[in-house]
Amino acid sequence: MTYVRAAAAAFYISMRLRFISGFAIMGFLVFPLILAAVGLFVLNKPGTTATQWTYGLLGGGLIGYWGITYLDAGNGIQIERWNGTLEQIFAVPTPLWVIVLGKALGGLVWGMLSFIPTIALAYFGFHALLPQLDAGRFAISFAVLTFSFLAIALSLSPLFAMWRWAFTMINGFELGTYVLCGFMFPITILPGWLQAISALLPPTWGTRALYAATTAEGPHDFVAWWVATVGLSLVYLGMSVFLFRLVDRRARATGELALV
Amino acid sequence: MTRALSQVAVFGRSIWLQYVALFQWATIPGYIGYKLILPVAQILFFVEFGVFATGQQNALYFALGNALQLTANAGIFGVIATVANERQFGTLPVLLGSPANRLVTFLSRAIVNVIDGVLSVLIGLLVAAIVFRLDVWHGNLPLLALCIVVISLTTAGLGLLFGSLGLIMRDAIVVANIIYYGLLITGGVNFPVSRLPGAMQTVAYALPLTRGVEAAREAVAGASFTQVASLLAGELAVGLAWAALGYVVFRAFEGYARRGGLQDAY
Amino acid sequence: MASPAIEVRDLRKKYVTHRGTFRRTKTENVALDGISLAIRPGELFGLLGPNGAGKTTATKILTTLLLPDSGSATVLGLDVVRQTSALRRRIGFVFGGERGLYWRLSGLDNLRYFADLYGIAPDVSKRRIGDMLKRLGLSGREHDKVEHYSRGMKQRLHLARGLLNDPEVLFLDEPTIGLDPVGARELRLLIRELADAGKTIFLTTHYMFEADAICDRIAVIKKGSIVAEGTPGSIKQLVEDLGVVEFEAAGVSPDRLRILRELPGVSSVSVADHEMAQLVTVHCVRPADVMTQLGVILEGIELQRVSSRDPTLEDAYVQLVGEGESQ
Repeated sequence: MTYVRAAAAAFYISMRLRFISGFAIMGFLVFPLILAAVGLFVLNKPGTTATQWTYGLLGGGLIGYWGITYLDAGNGIQIERWNGTLEQIFAVPTPLWVIVLGKALGGLVWGMLSFIPTIALAYFGFHALLPQLDAGRFAISFAVLTFSFLAIALSLSPLFAMWRWAFTMINGFELGTYVLCGFMFPITILPGWLQAISALLPPTWGTRALYAATTAEGPHDFVAWWVATVGLSLVYLGMSVFLFRLVDRRARATGELALV
Repeated sequence: MTRALSQVAVFGRSIWLQYVALFQWATIPGYIGYKLILPVAQILFFVEFGVFATGQQNALYFALGNALQLTANAGIFGVIATVANERQFGTLPVLLGSPANRLVTFLSRAIVNVIDGVLSVLIGLLVAAIVFRLDVWHGNLPLLALCIVVISLTTAGLGLLFGSLGLIMRDAIVVANIIYYGLLITGGVNFPVSRLPGAMQTVAYALPLTRGVEAAREAVAGASFTQVASLLAGELAVGLAWAALGYVVFRAFEGYARRGGLQDAY
Repeated sequence: MASPAIEVRDLRKKYVTHRGTFRRTKTENVALDGISLAIRPGELFGLLGPNGAGKTTATKILTTLLLPDSGSATVLGLDVVRQTSALRRRIGFVFGGERGLYWRLSGLDNLRYFADLYGIAPDVSKRRIGDMLKRLGLSGREHDKVEHYSRGMKQRLHLARGLLNDPEVLFLDEPTIGLDPVGARELRLLIRELADAGKTIFLTTHYMFEADAICDRIAVIKKGSIVAEGTPGSIKQLVEDLGVVEFEAAGVSPDRLRILRELPGVSSVSVADHEMAQLVTVHCVRPADVMTQLGVILEGIELQRVSSRDPTLEDAYVQLVGEGESQ
């Protein structure tokens, strides 16, 4: 029960801090909106198919959702370090992963907000719709995709805290994931070797299921994709358990908790 | 003589700070992440999306546009980083208190970033040409190179404004981020500017990059200098206008600082 | 005798730093070189030493934030390396300074958040937070953002956070640093009250008068080793055979200071620059002998306010940690 309360407190405090952060607001409002706008303007020409419009409609929101999860939730530990509160967080009886989980859930909720401006732009600005939406399967796919984002955030958080080189590559990886996970176009257009890398990322399968639920065309192996998403996510969660133990040990051994 | 030497000293110190700002991530992973992975990922993303949306034949269009837009990263964020470093190293009061030529000091901030911008574009284009097997080699390469230099100058001009704003605004970097990504919409990077609503087209042509990208596309298609001269002239004028505005803000800040309003700045 | 509240045996810790990008050089810095301590329950114990002596390192190990290289430490009978979860519930720590708080949130939000992270029941934390805000003089300002707090208020908020779980042992790392004299004095009084109420307090400081004023016992640490331990009185006794000669003069050259140092019975000479003159402090066995020699050694220099006195704890500290390193 105390863990639930602690995670809820971390969720609440992280949301409070996001509301007053220019960067956080930009993250859900401006950045996905800009990318969605680019996509929609590119698609705004004769001959664009319904499937392509779907990617324009949902792509910006997915990019915002992922971007916030990756940057905000993934930096759950690093943000405490930059804030100078990492030592205090470490020294409480609540395990670090509980606190990071609360913050990551906050990041996910915040990231979901990206869909509001992007879908609004697509609908009101470009009249893009989802006429063949299978709401039930869409909802399940969305939930499963969310779970994959959470799993990755929980494994990235200790990684970024431990290895600053991983963090310095952050922007590249974020954009790279837009490509590899098929947020704004199907990964089937990528070269084979890139698709093989995509297959190792849980959001790839969740995204595939999500888009499949918006159209009657193409394969509809929902169960297989959901299982792949959840299964791979559990692997990442397993890694995160190991990584949290490692960061605890390493931070205490090197005394780097107080260092920015 | 002393005055000239002091000007040189301030100029030199400014250049050094930019260098430090530029290489503040000076580890090999940092360099790889910032200079290679990020540009390549951006180009990869937009080329693949562009091909999905409009066909394989347009791959060069998206690759060229996005490679050119990369220079804005150096131009805008590079200058802001310089200002942040001046504040962190405590040289801001020194700079303002010195008798150095203000214009020289101001412009010196952008020099290293212009060079960095050119390099970013070249790396991006080279990688795109190799990965997507794009034919850029049959175009007017010297003219393309000129376009790249011009765009680097003009985006640095915009960066100078944000650098100055960064002295008086706490969240200038947030605004800078919005403008930087906004250039993806206005710069003719991923789609023709003519697709934008009328008012937005006006904004597009008031910002750097737009005319430069058009000129660069012409150059790749084999155009001669005279055919794009007016575009390049327009691009330079826009960049100069933004730099001039940045200079006005810079001098306004000086006045503000002298009247004791430095608390927010530090 | 009751078992110690804090027990440290031969604790060692070194830091390894790397410099350079392409040709990386490794530097080892010994922070703790085998320290041993035993602190009784309810004691207010002071660890005194100059910057870089190892005080913060020792504190961080005892508060489970740092792993020692070797040796052992227990707090309340719990091992600081292996029993961290159980231990963290029962101790509190205050590192102070500008960091360690959420600036953009209010003081109250900060306290509520940490109360939840400590697993304190909501009704208990509400009452405790209310009491603490009153006691620490933060009532009425709890809804203000921390970024608008003064240095002293932030320090008090740190202390409030450190006391949220009503710890049995409280670790305070240089708690009065950066505070104005009035604020520092108030904080010291409060710390003494907490000790009198039964809490064990482990305090680090480099202010000798602070340790002298409030601590039951002191250990002096220098370059990672304990060089003296005992009550303030017993530590002063270490230097009771020493006297102190002080004088003010302008322009005493290094050569003359060297001659002064080499006088028989002189153990140290420290110089503090004041506005118009230097204050020279000579620790020696026979002050009278030194005073007669001053006129010869410092011929041609005008001496003012020549005096001799008994050693204070500060003098003992200077003796123990080295010349010129006093506060």
